[in-house]
Amino acid sequence: MIVPLGHVFVLAGLIFAMGLVCLVAHRNLIMTLIGVEVMMNAAAIAFVAAALRWQLMEGQAFVLFILAVSAAEISLGLMLVVSVYRRTGSIDPDRYDILKW
Amino acid sequence: MTSWLQDASLMAVTLSTWLPFISFLLIIVFTRNQRRLSAGIAIGAVACSLAGAIFLLVRHWGDSVPIQYSARWLVTGDVYIPFGYLLDPLSLLMLCLVAAISFLVQVYSVGYMAGDPGFSRYYAFQSLFAWAMMTLTMSSAMLQLYVFWELVGLSSYLLIGFWYEKFSATQAGKKAFVMTRLGDVAFFIGLLLVLLHLGNLEILEMNSSEAAAHMPPGLLTLAALLIFGGIVGKSAQFPLMTWLPDAMEGPTPVSALLHSATMVAAGVYLFARLFPFLTHSADAITVFLVIGTVSMLLASTMAMVSRDIKRVWAYSTISQLGFMIMGLAAGSLFAGSFHLTTHAGFKALLFLCSGVWVHLYETNDVYDISRRGGRRLKIPMACLVIAAAALSGLPPLSGFFSKEVILEALAGLRNPVWLAAALLGVFLTAYYAFRLVFIILFPRGEVQEEPNHHRMGTLYWAMGCPLLVLACVTVVLGLLQMPLRQFLSAGIATHQDSGHAWLFSLSVGLAALGVGVAWFEFGRRAALQVGFVERMPLLKDLFAQRWYLDHVYRRFVDIVIDGFFSKACTKNEDRVINKSIDELSHFTLDSGDLLSFLQSGKLRYNLIVMFAALGLVALYFLVA
Amino acid sequence: MTLYAFIFYLLAIVILIATGLAVTRRQPIHAVLYLIVAFLSTAALFFMLGAPLLAAFIVIVYAGAIMVLVLFVIMLFQQSPKERRLLSEWGPATFLGIVFLAVAVAMVFKDPGSEIVLRGAVAQPRDFGRFLFDRYWLAVEIVSILLLVALVAIIHLSKRRDTEEIERCPSPHPSPPRDEGKGEGVSYQKEGHQ
Repeated sequence: MIVPLGHVFVLAGLIFAMGLVCLVAHRNLIMTLIGVEVMMNAAAIAFVAAALRWQLMEGQAFVLFILAVSAAEISLGLMLVVSVYRRTGSIDPDRYDILKW
Repeated sequence: MTSWLQDASLMAVTLSTWLPFISFLLIIVFTRNQRRLSAGIAIGAVACSLAGAIFLLVRHWGDSVPIQYSARWLVTGDVYIPFGYLLDPLSLLMLCLVAAISFLVQVYSVGYMAGDPGFSRYYAFQSLFAWAMMTLTMSSAMLQLYVFWELVGLSSYLLIGFWYEKFSATQAGKKAFVMTRLGDVAFFIGLLLVLLHLGNLEILEMNSSEAAAHMPPGLLTLAALLIFGGIVGKSAQFPLMTWLPDAMEGPTPVSALLHSATMVAAGVYLFARLFPFLTHSADAITVFLVIGTVSMLLASTMAMVSRDIKRVWAYSTISQLGFMIMGLAAGSLFAGSFHLTTHAGFKALLFLCSGVWVHLYETNDVYDISRRGGRRLKIPMACLVIAAAALSGLPPLSGFFSKEVILEALAGLRNPVWLAAALLGVFLTAYYAFRLVFIILFPRGEVQEEPNHHRMGTLYWAMGCPLLVLACVTVVLGLLQMPLRQFLSAGIATHQDSGHAWLFSLSVGLAALGVGVAWFEFGRRAALQVGFVERMPLLKDLFAQRWYLDHVYRRFVDIVIDGFFSKACTKNEDRVINKSIDELSHFTLDSGDLLSFLQSGKLRYNLIVMFAALGLVALYFLVA
Repeated sequence: MTLYAFIFYLLAIVILIATGLAVTRRQPIHAVLYLIVAFLSTAALFFMLGAPLLAAFIVIVYAGAIMVLVLFVIMLFQQSPKERRLLSEWGPATFLGIVFLAVAVAMVFKDPGSEIVLRGAVAQPRDFGRFLFDRYWLAVEIVSILLLVALVAIIHLSKRRDTEEIERCPSPHPSPPRDEGKGEGVSYQKEGHQ
């Protein structure tokens, strides 16, 4: 009655791809984390659509968990970014090349 | 195999051979610091071995069939190599000889080595040698004999280099080991040839007539010659003879035991052991005769000009061993074996007498010994004269009888040149032996007063009693010729006296001539004590430099081995092996450099790669 | 096309535009604001797809808490460097994104199950809550522990040492010669203990 399942997945795929681009293309660590959030958003959409297709509530439960994990992860990630910034004064990931040969 | 405890012979032979090994272990592990205990353990072990040997000799006197005990040792496929004991007349006689002389020498060493810091170590090595030599004599299979052959060589090395702080001693030990090793390589190759063709290495099998039928004659000659290579190395024959004079760096009892009576006699013993096998091929026999004769004559000439008392007896040992090999190659097993036995007696006696003077005056030089009044020590002097007379072949001492047997065997050969050479050797032997005797007996110039001649108490008698025992043996042994001949020939056709009576007088005459010439040059009151050879500088140098054999070897080693092989190997190592590894490592580093651009250190590229991999996995699932 | 389908497509377009704008902004704050719009649209989408409780959660947690947190952290940084040389940086990423998208779309349309039209249904919050705590109570507890762990970690990490200084990192340098040990790189101050 609403839309074919494939369309929702295509939407999720598009959002995921955009999140991927955001992740790797920015020279700012915050944008990296935002990319991760976008990708998680895409995953949540896909899960909810799947839950509706099979009329099971497990999918929605999983989205809840995604939410919680994302919250934990982004807060930790931000804290790490703050730590790195304190140590080196920059949040450009290209500057952290001490392991380069 | 009969039960161990029930069979007295087996128990006797096992104990005789293994007790010295136990004593070696005990001394090395436990009693290094307790000298008397070490000496006691070693002498006790050898005394038990001697008792066992005498028991076996008496018990099996007159046995016509050899007794063999063997146990499985190495078995693989077609090859069966046992470990065992072979009791036949020859091995029993040799066992007695080895045990007796080891015992006497170890008693003597109590006096000789007193005060030496390595006293216990010395007795440990003596026990090791006793074990190895006795098991060698009783071996029933060639591989076992080879193993103990090498062990005997090892103990010789350890004992020659006993005073290892002296550089010359370590050099001599190394030289002895390497030279005998050369011979042993040939020996081993010969053994392999035999093993390949016969399938096993038991002595009884090798000596049987079927063995000769199995091997083609060319191969038989080759195997015989290769095994003789081992004999050449161990018994210091030409061309591997120069290690023995250098081996005199060891203590004198070691020289008496190893390098005159037993170890170097192991080569001749091996010849006697494999007598039927080695004498199948006439070509091989000719080679043996040649080598024996050459060694005998060369060594005699070297002995004529030497001033070092131990070196003279060393050259004499080489010469007498050559003589024994001549006798064996001439076809008479009894000749070689009998001379081996008597030679052990009087040569050990010669060395031990010299040892008394060496120990007392701390010099090896004959003229020094005589100047310091060596002749005042009555027991060594008397024993020296007796032993020298035996060496020269003067009746009625044992040496005379044994030399006669060899000369008779040589007279039975068609070619008279061997007999002529042997007679020349008799003359030279008498000459150099009595040269030494007269130098010590009639000193020239001032004789220094040595005040402390008789200060030693038990130590003096520890050294004196073996001398007396050996002197008695030397006197008496010759009379046992007939019983020994019967004993050794049991099972083999007895050799008939061929009635060369003229030989008897000729040889005695030559010996007397040698003594006379020595008296003329060294013994008379007016003599200058310079030999006729020493007046000819060319000959003197030739003989003194050991016929330049050492120089030839040195040159060979320098040019061929150092100059050629060593350089080739070094070049190979540097330019091929090292270079290839270096190049490999450079390649690794360079390729790492080349690929290092991949690691940009940027986080984002890592992430890109990660997601690209994920995409590839998705692609795979899409397609597959 | 039913009403629901129309609403769906409308919301989809909003989400896409908002997310697209979010990822292409230079200033992180702009990106965050656009992202909040995207999340609100997502919440509406969830309402339509029959998950009202989840929609509420998205608004409260995602748009309300997480994005605000990000804003706070952005505020902490004293400098927000302008990004330079955009085009060369975007190349590989865009290519990767396109490839990824192509593969994903192909995967979706290969499967015949994607033709099924979704039937509308709603998971009432009461039912959803009961379902969650009936069957997946363990996962819920574990998630709460996870949040606790994250909390502890953040508190620990955030402690500033007295001796810490901010070191400026030097300008990008050429690669060091091979034979030296480590490169210069970013110099890290030695911590007392961690």
